[in-house]
Amino acid sequence: MTILTVALKYLRGRLVASTLTAVSITLGVSLVVASVLLARGIKEGFIAGATDYNLVVGAKSSPTQLVLSVVFRMDLATPNIQYTTYRDLQQDPRVETAVPIGIGDAYRGFRYVATNSAYFAAFPWRRKTFALAAGRFFADDPPSDPTYEALLGAEAAGSTGLQIGDRFYEGEEMAEYPLTVVGILRPTRSADDRAIFLSLSSYWGMNEVARGMAVKPLTAVLIRPKRVSDLPSLHRALNVGPETQAVLPSGVLLTIFNMMAVAEDVLKMLLVIVGIIVLLYVFVSMYSATMERRREIATMRALGARRATVLGIVLAESAALATVGGIGGIIGGHAVAYLAGSRLGSNGLVTNPFLVDVFEPAVLAGIILLGTLAGLLPAVLAYRTEVAENLAPLS
Amino acid sequence: MTRELRGWLAAVLLVVVVPIVALGGSEEIPRLTFAQLVDSIRADSGVTETIKSYSGTEVAIQGFIIPAGPPDLSFFLLSRVSALGNYCCEAPVGQDETVYVFTTKPVNITYDPLRIFKVVGVFEAGMRADAAYGPSLFRVRDARVEQAVGARMFKTGDFPASASKP
Repeated sequence: MTILTVALKYLRGRLVASTLTAVSITLGVSLVVASVLLARGIKEGFIAGATDYNLVVGAKSSPTQLVLSVVFRMDLATPNIQYTTYRDLQQDPRVETAVPIGIGDAYRGFRYVATNSAYFAAFPWRRKTFALAAGRFFADDPPSDPTYEALLGAEAAGSTGLQIGDRFYEGEEMAEYPLTVVGILRPTRSADDRAIFLSLSSYWGMNEVARGMAVKPLTAVLIRPKRVSDLPSLHRALNVGPETQAVLPSGVLLTIFNMMAVAEDVLKMLLVIVGIIVLLYVFVSMYSATMERRREIATMRALGARRATVLGIVLAESAALATVGGIGGIIGGHAVAYLAGSRLGSNGLVTNPFLVDVFEPAVLAGIILLGTLAGLLPAVLAYRTEVAENLAPLS
Repeated sequence: MTRELRGWLAAVLLVVVVPIVALGGSEEIPRLTFAQLVDSIRADSGVTETIKSYSGTEVAIQGFIIPAGPPDLSFFLLSRVSALGNYCCEAPVGQDETVYVFTTKPVNITYDPLRIFKVVGVFEAGMRADAAYGPSLFRVRDARVEQAVGARMFKTGDFPASASKP
């Protein structure tokens, strides 16, 4: 019989206690893995969903609100700016591309996003590409003749069940201006999957106030400069004026990451405490098992088992428990992260809980090492078990 | 016992001291300032041979980070003036005082638009157009980023003694 065979036999012998120990390790590791995966997934979701445009121009308000509403559709839209701001920026010699954005209400929670065909255009510098799953893009119609055509993001189409040709509206006042679905986009793994796109003319036509305005309103303008080094001067010029603010979306996201880092530090401390509790549980479990088995160990020793063999058996037991608990914890952690990620995904955050990299093997190796270490003292006690003392008659 | 202890002590000292001496003896990374970069610019976006001589070597430059690229900071601008302090006393600078920084490893810093950071990486001088970010005069590739504690910014004509190179 090998050391491992004996160790597994011992574990089977106290199945309930062994199972409970393995389950406690599984729960602890699941918590750690799920927390790390979700924190990483949220951050990567923000990075993946970030816009390819370098500057977002909007009304004076919170920069975070502007970026979250325009890029991630996660907040209320900021106040309006004038369409002339977009026209001026289009003619600015420093600007390569300017894209107007109008954030409207929503249909069943999916935001109306008014823009023009430039939003979907493929540029050499763009990471994100838009492709149609069905239908066509909406027309860049003139303000005098809005077409009320809608292009649905993949998730918006999937969740609402809208098909090409369907007409829809939400709220009594919109009954006169229903939108017609003309296209559905392929998934982009960004907030655009949850948007309902329409032309600016349709956006203005649907709004009673905008219909009567001589200078039409916009929520924001996305800017790509010809030279990135022109960004600071563009940024300053748009910020010192009384009407607009310009925001570097990456700057806002980095500030959000800074705030998340504080929460992550607190989480790390909690996870360390959880880890210590789990290790203590393994230690107590192995210790009590060793104390209960002193007579058996003495018998083994009397029959010729070496001290090192006894030490190895106890260490193998704790390593086996840690391995089972660790593997269960990694699987459980991914399952929890998937469930939580699905929920966060519907709220505007994208996570990728299936991502397996060096983190998982490192966690497993760490758990096996620490679990084995937790069994070290009980193993040493077993190692030092005296045959004569423990084989004495019980009464 | 004493002999054994001496042996251990000698081994520990060897392990600790040798790398310190080796690192201490290695060549210091030259620091370039924005003043030097501006001073090197010539007509038609040319740069002096002196500044070109740093191309391909590792240099350190200190400045403000302008997150003009993705939020993972795989690309950003390093500028003499903070772009995001709207009430800063100095007007934003352009291409002359901006370095394009490309990183390959994750940047682990607490971003602060009003704090000076030190960038160490392989320097490139001379006009070149990047497909994604457009033309630039100065670039740093494979950059590492760290906070420049107690950093001082230099203006044109103001050179740090350690940065000069024959």
